[in-house]
Amino acid sequence: MRDFVVITDSTSDLSLETRQQFNIEYVPMQYIINGEEFKASLDWEAHSVKEYYDLMRGGCRVYTTQVLKDTYLEAFQKAIDAGKDVVYISCSSALSASINVACLVAMELKEKYPEAGIFCIDSLISSLGQGFLAMEASRKRAEGLSAADTAAYIESIKLCVNQCGTVGSLEYLRRAGRVKASKAFFGNLFGVKPLIISDIKGQNFAYKKAKGAVNARIGIAEHIVEAANGVYEELFISHADCEEEMEQVKAEILKRAPFKKVYTNTIGPIVGASVGPGTVIAFCLGTEVTIEGNE
Amino acid sequence: MQNTLDGISLHQLFTSGYRNLKKNMEAINDLNVFPVPDGDTGANMVMTFGGGLQAVSETQTHVGQYMQSLSRAVLLSARGNSGVIFSQFVHGLSRGFAEKETVTFGDLAEAFACAKEDAYHSIITPTEGTILTVIREAADFLAENAKNYDSFQTGFDALQAQMTASLKRTPELLPVLKEAGVVDSGGAGLVCFVDGICAHLHGESLEDIQEDWSAPASMCTDFGPDSRLEYGYCTEFILQLMNYKTDLAAFDLQSFTNPLEQMGDSIVAVHNDGIVKIHIHTFTPDTVLGYARGFGEFVSVKIENMSIQHSQVQTAVQKEKVKFAIIAVVAGEGIKAYFESIGANYVIDGGQTNNPPVSAFLEAFQKFDAEHIVVLPNNANIILTAEQAAQAYTECDVRVIPTKSITEGYSALSMMNPCCDTVDDLIGEMSANLDAVTTGYVTTAVRDANMDGMTVKKGDCIGLDGKHLLASEEGRVETAKALVNRIMAATPKDVIIFFYGEAVTEEEVQALSDYLQKAYPLVDVGFVSGKQAVYDFIISLE
Repeated sequence: MRDFVVITDSTSDLSLETRQQFNIEYVPMQYIINGEEFKASLDWEAHSVKEYYDLMRGGCRVYTTQVLKDTYLEAFQKAIDAGKDVVYISCSSALSASINVACLVAMELKEKYPEAGIFCIDSLISSLGQGFLAMEASRKRAEGLSAADTAAYIESIKLCVNQCGTVGSLEYLRRAGRVKASKAFFGNLFGVKPLIISDIKGQNFAYKKAKGAVNARIGIAEHIVEAANGVYEELFISHADCEEEMEQVKAEILKRAPFKKVYTNTIGPIVGASVGPGTVIAFCLGTEVTIEGNE
Repeated sequence: MQNTLDGISLHQLFTSGYRNLKKNMEAINDLNVFPVPDGDTGANMVMTFGGGLQAVSETQTHVGQYMQSLSRAVLLSARGNSGVIFSQFVHGLSRGFAEKETVTFGDLAEAFACAKEDAYHSIITPTEGTILTVIREAADFLAENAKNYDSFQTGFDALQAQMTASLKRTPELLPVLKEAGVVDSGGAGLVCFVDGICAHLHGESLEDIQEDWSAPASMCTDFGPDSRLEYGYCTEFILQLMNYKTDLAAFDLQSFTNPLEQMGDSIVAVHNDGIVKIHIHTFTPDTVLGYARGFGEFVSVKIENMSIQHSQVQTAVQKEKVKFAIIAVVAGEGIKAYFESIGANYVIDGGQTNNPPVSAFLEAFQKFDAEHIVVLPNNANIILTAEQAAQAYTECDVRVIPTKSITEGYSALSMMNPCCDTVDDLIGEMSANLDAVTTGYVTTAVRDANMDGMTVKKGDCIGLDGKHLLASEEGRVETAKALVNRIMAATPKDVIIFFYGEAVTEEEVQALSDYLQKAYPLVDVGFVSGKQAVYDFIISLE
């Protein structure tokens, strides 16, 4: 049986340590600040976490681009050259069109290398939820599953990855427009935090409001604990340069459910560009998501 | 000496009672617990009863029938808590008088018993020391003594003496009245009404003070000498078809309205027993009226310039189809615009000094083709009216979230989540934080007062939380700071929002904002230009 590489992208928000531990590669997207383009590095090569989010706090508008065709070609070709298959776990198709490019590249390569197995999976989620699916793929590889079986397994659990988070300010959501919600959600409200989940289409959807930071933490914790439905294995929390707030959310969740292992990391530049500094998002594996967001 | 009354003489008694109430309106308004110029009980009672009197026929002789139409009309114009209670009082009288062609003073015993019952029923938690007490004691008095009086004159004299004494006792039952040194305003209104009745029975004739109730206090219009007539006139009339002008038996509404379609649009036409009611939007109301007069004579005509209407209320001509329609009662141009921007589908103009009547709610409800309507009354004195309207409306489900202030209204509206599946969920989320809302008000004292251990002089800046006087400093900004500090010291809050009034300057807002950011760095602070009257600041702390 052919070995395979697990590849994800800049929106997976996996730390270097985790990527090394699970042997996960990633293909980068790009972000543009003041006309200058930077690689969306998960290791913060161009800007530090603080520098990046301070730029946003200062009103700087960040634009993002999807993964380039050549980047995919290079990454997939490298695997094929090494005699390996590919399991690529992409950012939700509702947030980035990268998966389309990946599928095109995979089709082209399959014509050239009919024996190669290239599986592109639309994770329907982002940040550490997507990162978790890449970790799961790596675990299945370690158990000896083939690329095809691993891909099938990831497809079968991806809608069971639950997300709930909130933002520091509604302003960034309003600007980036990457979160589905009714107009009233984005009115000029004070002290109102949206609780944002990932729906069955992989859209970030503001499904509920909480009044003030304390209620938002409680709202996130209650949502995650309910979704976990009694199985408290791994908890993932990402944050956009607000470690203290992340710790409070973590404490609020752990108060209710004794998750065995907690992974935390900063939200990378791509997800960060649309949610803004002060965002905290929690993820866990649980019951299948059934909510579909509408305007 | 009158021993029995028919509908016509009853109408005369009520008219005299109403006129005396109106004469004393300002004095009743001033019976306010706080030294704040927002008392409105007098105005509410006058408008409630006045709207009713205007709508009934003064030639109806049958007491039962007269009372039935009066009661219905009074309910429609009811506004404010005292107004709603007053309307229920009238409703009770009409129950007691039902079937009666004429009445004697003795009949008042049963009527007042019904009135007492209905008045108490309209309030979920009746408070003693209010108009309710005055009604109850009057009913008790009549149950015992009404049979002893043959004539209305002597009977009402006795009743009036009893009610005046009852009113004087209200401060003994309600401590806030005692502290403020006033009697209950609603009770005082009712006593004024009875005084007017007595005056009439003694042959006095009271004059009606003419005032235009229909125009809003500050009618601002953009329509000037160089304006263009953009929207035409909203024209409504009721036409009595006349035998000498048209063949009533052969009258066909469709043929009557066909030519109107050349003159305007949005036509609504109704024909009933020789009376035609027309609503039309037209640029040439003169042509419309000229045409209509060919068939009969007008009972009433109303013509409004829609450019002015348009700038005052943005109403859709077509009914908006929505799952949930949120209707909020708001005063102040700025707050109104703000509420609309954050999700209110419709805003009824109203507040502490301008309580909207039941009919205003019914009109607002009719604007929507909604599954559920949710009302935010935003004033303790408007909740009851909203609930009465909700009960009276049959087209769809109407719920009232009993928000007692603009700040509670904000709390509810800001939590409104249109994605909710059911109206119960929606109301649950909107009500989730209401208990946590504290409201602060900053205004100017209109009289010297000594309360809550503070002494204030007329003209001083004062800060209240709706129940207590909490601060009085030099200037509104300092008073606002002190008020916020006292409230925050008692219960720390996460969010503070200032709705600032017309007089407040940008510099003052900036000064407050700077201060609060330093004093409470973790609190979310917001400012909304509310342009409201009376209060320099309405402060929401959640």
